[in-house]
Amino acid sequence: MKNGVVITGYGCLTASGGDAAATWEAILAGESGIQEVETWDSAGWPYRLAGEIKDYSPRDLISDRKLLKFITRQDVIGLNAVAQAVSHSGIIEYRDGLVDPTSFNDRTGVFVGSPATKYRYQHDYLAPLANAAGDSREFGVRAVEEVHPMWLLRTLPNNVLAYVGIQYGFKGANANVTAHGVSGSQAIAEACRYLKDGAIERAIVVGYDSASEIEALPYYASLGLLSSRGLRPFDRSRDGTVLGEGAGALVLETRDAAKRRGAKICGEVLGSSVVAEAAGVLSIREDGDGVSRAIRLALEDSGMHPDEIGMISAHGNGGKISDASEARAFSEIFGASSIPVTGFKWSLGHTIAASGTIESVLALLCLAEGRVPGIANLEELSPECRGVNVSATQQTPRSSAGIVVSRGFAGLNSCIVLSSHA
Amino acid sequence: MVTPLGNDVKSTWEAILSGESGVREIAGFDASGFPTRIAAEVKDLRAEEFVEDRKSLKYVTPFSLFALAAAEEAVRDAGVRPTAATAERWGLVSGSGMMTMEFDFLQRFQREFAVDGQIDLARLGAEGARFISSSEFARHRAVAGQALLHKRYDIRGYSANLHTACASGGQALGLAMRVVRSGQADFVLAGGYDTMINPIGLAGFCLLGAISTDNDRPGSASRPFDLTRNGFVLGEGAGFMILEDWQRARDRGAKIYAEIAGEGNSLSSYRITDSPPSGDGPMQAIRSALEDAGETVDSIDYLNAHGTSTPMNDLSETNAIKAVFGDRANDLAVSSTKSQMGHLIAAAGAVEGIICALAIQHSIAPMTANLRTPDPACDLDYVSQGCRPMQIDAALSNSFGFGGSNSCLVFRSPQRAENRGC
Repeated sequence: MKNGVVITGYGCLTASGGDAAATWEAILAGESGIQEVETWDSAGWPYRLAGEIKDYSPRDLISDRKLLKFITRQDVIGLNAVAQAVSHSGIIEYRDGLVDPTSFNDRTGVFVGSPATKYRYQHDYLAPLANAAGDSREFGVRAVEEVHPMWLLRTLPNNVLAYVGIQYGFKGANANVTAHGVSGSQAIAEACRYLKDGAIERAIVVGYDSASEIEALPYYASLGLLSSRGLRPFDRSRDGTVLGEGAGALVLETRDAAKRRGAKICGEVLGSSVVAEAAGVLSIREDGDGVSRAIRLALEDSGMHPDEIGMISAHGNGGKISDASEARAFSEIFGASSIPVTGFKWSLGHTIAASGTIESVLALLCLAEGRVPGIANLEELSPECRGVNVSATQQTPRSSAGIVVSRGFAGLNSCIVLSSHA
Repeated sequence: MVTPLGNDVKSTWEAILSGESGVREIAGFDASGFPTRIAAEVKDLRAEEFVEDRKSLKYVTPFSLFALAAAEEAVRDAGVRPTAATAERWGLVSGSGMMTMEFDFLQRFQREFAVDGQIDLARLGAEGARFISSSEFARHRAVAGQALLHKRYDIRGYSANLHTACASGGQALGLAMRVVRSGQADFVLAGGYDTMINPIGLAGFCLLGAISTDNDRPGSASRPFDLTRNGFVLGEGAGFMILEDWQRARDRGAKIYAEIAGEGNSLSSYRITDSPPSGDGPMQAIRSALEDAGETVDSIDYLNAHGTSTPMNDLSETNAIKAVFGDRANDLAVSSTKSQMGHLIAAAGAVEGIICALAIQHSIAPMTANLRTPDPACDLDYVSQGCRPMQIDAALSNSFGFGGSNSCLVFRSPQRAENRGC
């Protein structure tokens, strides 16, 4: 196959584990990283569950400590996942052996699923606002005196993209996707596009987010989107999602480029899709229209038939309508074929912009190891999700290919088709 | 398009020809306390004129209004819009701005939850969910504008929302071109929209020292390539175009402005705010764009520069052009329309792409206004003596962003496209 896209490295950092192996083990063991928030005092908060990174220590997560002045927590998390994936792939050792690395660097792209901006970034202006006491002129004077000069640069939505470039010297095609819950999957999809177009030979892909920020909890809760009891995908008792933080990264290469450097190939990205439901900012279509079209288009892109798919990594965010509509789409496309379906958000929380890349890493592990972990907190399948083969216990994939479904605000849906076949 | 020079294509183009400046003292809010008190604001754009669905108004922010207005002009001009039969074959690709939270909201938040400048956590936990409305929450999403455009036109196919700071609009057009090329969509509504002209955006740029403080002479504050240039001028607005396959456009008898013929996309990997003086980074983008379009340095007539009027950008860009064009560099007409309309940040590349198409259509190269004191280090032909009538068969548009992302696009005249057997 011409310019097929292979996976030669991956990594992730989640509430459930500090790397891909630890996250995978935790999920297999039925462990959840969701707990009461610890990064601020949430005593008395009605919605206080989150999938936060445990023992967060920025100085241990990135090698260039000078950077910490210029980036925020979510950027640190993103760069850590990239470092894991890059190290796993061995591309730096290969490059350092080249007589002239110019072409290698020019043909290495960076594709990022970014959470865009955050409420917390604006908190630096609360003090000048309070001190100005409603005087708009005074606010201008104080803002420029009191806020850190690097404020704007610290809050750029493309910081991870920029610093991946600066740290490693990669100079190829790039994109920074800010598309809520599909950002991470779409970063994979756009990397594949540029790889297949021949614009680059390899790409670093990363999705990162620190979605469980201080203002997000009450605001998501105000819309009825959060659960105070836990994220229970496809369960009868599900009542919302739980926000989390994390990052997932992949190194993708054209098959030719990977072979040329004798890379160990972990799997392949066979196809991808992104579609919109056009239902508004927050609404989703109950019939699962966007999910089913995303799956169909991704299968078409990969030249695969539904029967060839061996497992599904569902979006499964624990939302009433989201899970039900997703289940309808699975039934519509895969019928009664009982392909094993799982999801990972019950353990990691919903990491929004990171979820597509984290879940692609975990789906690849499912396929490679021939194990589809159960949704450990599943008690009773929701009648609205009937026909979907989810289980509280481990299942076996039917083939070496699987799909990863991601969904986001603006009615966005994405599907990635992966294979563990080397 | 919606720009500081006019609220549609015709008025913007006429203002470009007449040499007008869109830069004034800031009128949208009290900027009297800031070191910079000038900007290029959009004038007199009324939401009611562009949003027929009154219910949608509560989801509209200033910058999504720019997007809706510019998109409506593009769709009307193209004479084609999605129908039930074609909706899934329409895509949307846009570059959108980073400041999605509203200043009014932050002020209310401060008065409610941070009276002394510190957040009262107990109060936020208890009252936060009641504080925000669902439409406010929706407006703050980075995908809000994307969702509004999808819904308004019932675009149900491919979707992308990108943010690489000042390169966003250019990268969006480049990606949209690839989406049409690959057959992923038959039509793509593609563009960019942004405003950072609000107290927080202005404070951010003032803190960095990146914007001109020539408050007493707003009309000449933006003077790209001038020896005395001292920073850019914030602009705002939106630009959208309809992209479709050449043959399809011909078959339906569409009015074809230009062919978007190539994209170069690179990463400078140098510093967050600048490309290196050598032009490394931007030069890879220009070279790949030419290669992608099958053009050479000999065939390019006009280059719409990123030309921000910051000391380093204009030097780096000039050197990138020299490095790529060699002896041909002095034959090339190069101009920066930011000299008149300021820097539209995430919208800049999209608006300037449209300007390239207009330059081709009208056989006129726009000028670089305010270039009175030549910089010995910036010695190209910047069209500083007024707009220049000339035949333009092929044009380039550069956009370089904070974070190091670079975009270069190639536009061809319909005649040249035909002659090349497009």
